[in-house]
Amino acid sequence: MAFIGLLTLVLIALPHGLSYSQREILVVLTINILVVSSYRLLTLTGEWSLGHVVMMGVGAYASALYSKEWGVPVPISMIIGALTAGLVAWGLSFPLFRMKGFYFLIGSFAAGEIIRLLWKRFRDPFGGPKGIKRIDPFPDIDLGFIRIDFFDPVNYYYFTLIIVVLCLVILWRIEKSLIGLTFHAVHWQDKLAESAGVNVRDYRTLALVISSTFAGLAGTLLAHYIGTVNPNGFDIEQMVFVLTWAIVGGTTTLYGPIIGCITLTALNEIVLRELGLEQGRPLIYGLILIVSVLFMPKGLEDVVKRGVAWAQLQIVKERTNGV
Amino acid sequence: MQTGLNALFAAAYLSLVAVGLVLIFGVMGVINFAHGELFMLGAYVVVALYTNLQMPFVLVVAIGLIFVGLVGILMEFTMFHPLRDNPLGGLVASIGFLMVIQASITIGFGVRMEHVPPVTQDVIILSEKVRLPVQRLFVILSAFVCLTALWLFLKKTKFGWALRASAQDPEAAMLQGISTRTVSIIAMFIGAALAGVAGSVTAPVISVSPVIGHSVIVSAFIVIIVGGIGSLEGAVLASVTYAFIHTVITTFIDGVIADIVGLSLMLLVLIIKPTGMFGTQDRV
Amino acid sequence: MESKILKVNDLGKQFGGIKAVNGLSFVVKEGHIHGLIGPNGAGKTTTFNLISGFYKPSQGSVRLFDEEISGLGMYRVARKGVIRTFQHSTLFAEMSVLENVLVGTHMMFKPNFLAALIGNERAIRDQAIKRSREVLEFFGLESFTSNLAGELSHGHQRTLGMAVAMASNPKILLLDEPFTGMNPEETQSMMGLMAKLRDSGMTLLLVEHDMTAIMGLCDRITVMNFGKLLTEGKPLEIRNHPDVIEAYLGTRNHAT
Repeated sequence: MAFIGLLTLVLIALPHGLSYSQREILVVLTINILVVSSYRLLTLTGEWSLGHVVMMGVGAYASALYSKEWGVPVPISMIIGALTAGLVAWGLSFPLFRMKGFYFLIGSFAAGEIIRLLWKRFRDPFGGPKGIKRIDPFPDIDLGFIRIDFFDPVNYYYFTLIIVVLCLVILWRIEKSLIGLTFHAVHWQDKLAESAGVNVRDYRTLALVISSTFAGLAGTLLAHYIGTVNPNGFDIEQMVFVLTWAIVGGTTTLYGPIIGCITLTALNEIVLRELGLEQGRPLIYGLILIVSVLFMPKGLEDVVKRGVAWAQLQIVKERTNGV
Repeated sequence: MQTGLNALFAAAYLSLVAVGLVLIFGVMGVINFAHGELFMLGAYVVVALYTNLQMPFVLVVAIGLIFVGLVGILMEFTMFHPLRDNPLGGLVASIGFLMVIQASITIGFGVRMEHVPPVTQDVIILSEKVRLPVQRLFVILSAFVCLTALWLFLKKTKFGWALRASAQDPEAAMLQGISTRTVSIIAMFIGAALAGVAGSVTAPVISVSPVIGHSVIVSAFIVIIVGGIGSLEGAVLASVTYAFIHTVITTFIDGVIADIVGLSLMLLVLIIKPTGMFGTQDRV
Repeated sequence: MESKILKVNDLGKQFGGIKAVNGLSFVVKEGHIHGLIGPNGAGKTTTFNLISGFYKPSQGSVRLFDEEISGLGMYRVARKGVIRTFQHSTLFAEMSVLENVLVGTHMMFKPNFLAALIGNERAIRDQAIKRSREVLEFFGLESFTSNLAGELSHGHQRTLGMAVAMASNPKILLLDEPFTGMNPEETQSMMGLMAKLRDSGMTLLLVEHDMTAIMGLCDRITVMNFGKLLTEGKPLEIRNHPDVIEAYLGTRNHAT
């Protein structure tokens, strides 16, 4: 409880100690946490997709178009944008879940690339290679006595923080529910799960749709903040970053991917940017990916687990010594 | 006719890359995502030694072959061997390696496109409308020579036999006294070297940049899926088919549509028959 | 009173040109322990997989009471009340014993997405846990509730496999070589559990290749050889049937 209180204070105070550009990065980081956490939900069923970032893009494009072309108010366009991503994922589940494992990985990559190339090819309505510009921003909120301007990264940070925390609570609940248990069952022994009456394909589809919906929501959060989307923003390189966060952090706990995302973003923004090594960013990322697969296959979460276990042991020791 | 020649040229370098990819997958059971980057490395060997240092082109190609082959062995030692029991891990590590190579080349050479001066400007004029630049003919011939050599190696030599045996059944191969480790190293060298040669001989015809690996690996994936993972003949056959379809669509409609068609084709094959149209074995 | 719960009629399965099962017919009566035996390669496991929906038959039918269930797919067959176990220790090794059985209650207590979303799952979850604990108690596994399934001994793992299957309250339980790899004591306690299940009214169909183990247990035995029905009858009739003795002795000496 004290930990949660402290965390809340830190999260609220955080943007005030940062520069303007760092605040903008903080917004993107918060959004990325949702991307990687929703990705993890799919990995619970044992399938690894390479199309997750494209699903994020589907949400971003959809919300941008709904608000720009049809005049849908932005908060509503964001919700239906996210749902659009879920719907597209549902459609893709029919071909993709005829495959498993490695074939699913490649299949999801192909499906994602096709979507991305469609954005690139069709100038109307997707804007071609340059994408969509001047997307409507999230509207200001005027409460009379106070006016919240979401162009300000601090305000937008608080807004995304609330949304993302809400989403994380939902993801947490899903995982701890009987549905989450069934996801695990599908992962570890799909034949045994099936013999218990589990429709394995439906559960895989459910995981894909939920994770894609949240990825889509993350996409809408990004689109209405930076005001532009383009096909290259959702390419395989971005996907590799998400994959890296998940693998470096570990995927057996909810916090694993989040730790991975925060650690690598901090490393990237603080260390590499300060050292002027921006060109070397993929180099370092690549090395970290290789090294963590080789030497830390259980991810950073395992380090945290061991740390906590060690701390508990120390406390117990101290108490027994005191007695 | 001209389109057919263009397609043949594309099929030539694509089949070199794809065959290498299949070979590595067959023997080691891992998909090398960095294979497109090995192609790109081959092209940069030409940029460094031929464009910049003016060494003879044929020698440079030979160096490209050996250099990239050695990079392949490096990958085997640092990643694929330690991760041999973890196929997903090997795949992810190869993605990491991809980023490392790409970034290293970007730092060393810059992101801009390199123009490699053609070795020869000669053009064989087959008819009024059909022209075949000798440089392209050279790519086609190299592919033909390399693939024939590989075929002879696999069918006629002891190592080739060992390689095929361990691709089909690693345990049986081990019982026969074949060192799977040696076979892995050889497969990695050949697989990588083929991609390197493809990059080297193609470099003067295309614009070389650090990101060319991407489109190559995507095409190669399409080809090995359509050709049937694990089938070398299938990979060659699919390369020719794919290159022809892709070139025709690029010529008459546009390149992005051609890519979409290619990817859809791959998805279709995955839906209908995940082991590919010509595939015989399924290792995953 | 003994109604026919499962009717297998003219069942067949071809793999390539090989007929693994060829025109097999037999009937399982409610409340029986029915054995399906035969030498190696007789087609028992294929038959088992055909009944449980793992394979689609090339010919013939499988009826549960009067409903056709062949070719439905495994989870649909399961939903009709025909639940199978697996050879070896197929379990969710990384999950706790209780969680394993909870997955088994999947059909009785369907997870509800909306309830999970708003965190209002308590009621259904408590019921599922209650059911799981009852099943664990029946099988004598209650002291392992929070252990990981992978940590259990071989005998306990096989028992847990049966508990997972029984958690869904099936109409008929299919057991795939339940005694493989067990020591005599484990075999003994497994036989006790089966008798206990029959006494509670459950119907069991078990595939076994070791004849002696199930002689004293089964009410009726179907013997297969080369994909076909060899003979059927009470254990004593089977034990002394000349064709059965020949089939076993003629291939490999397993009868003694």
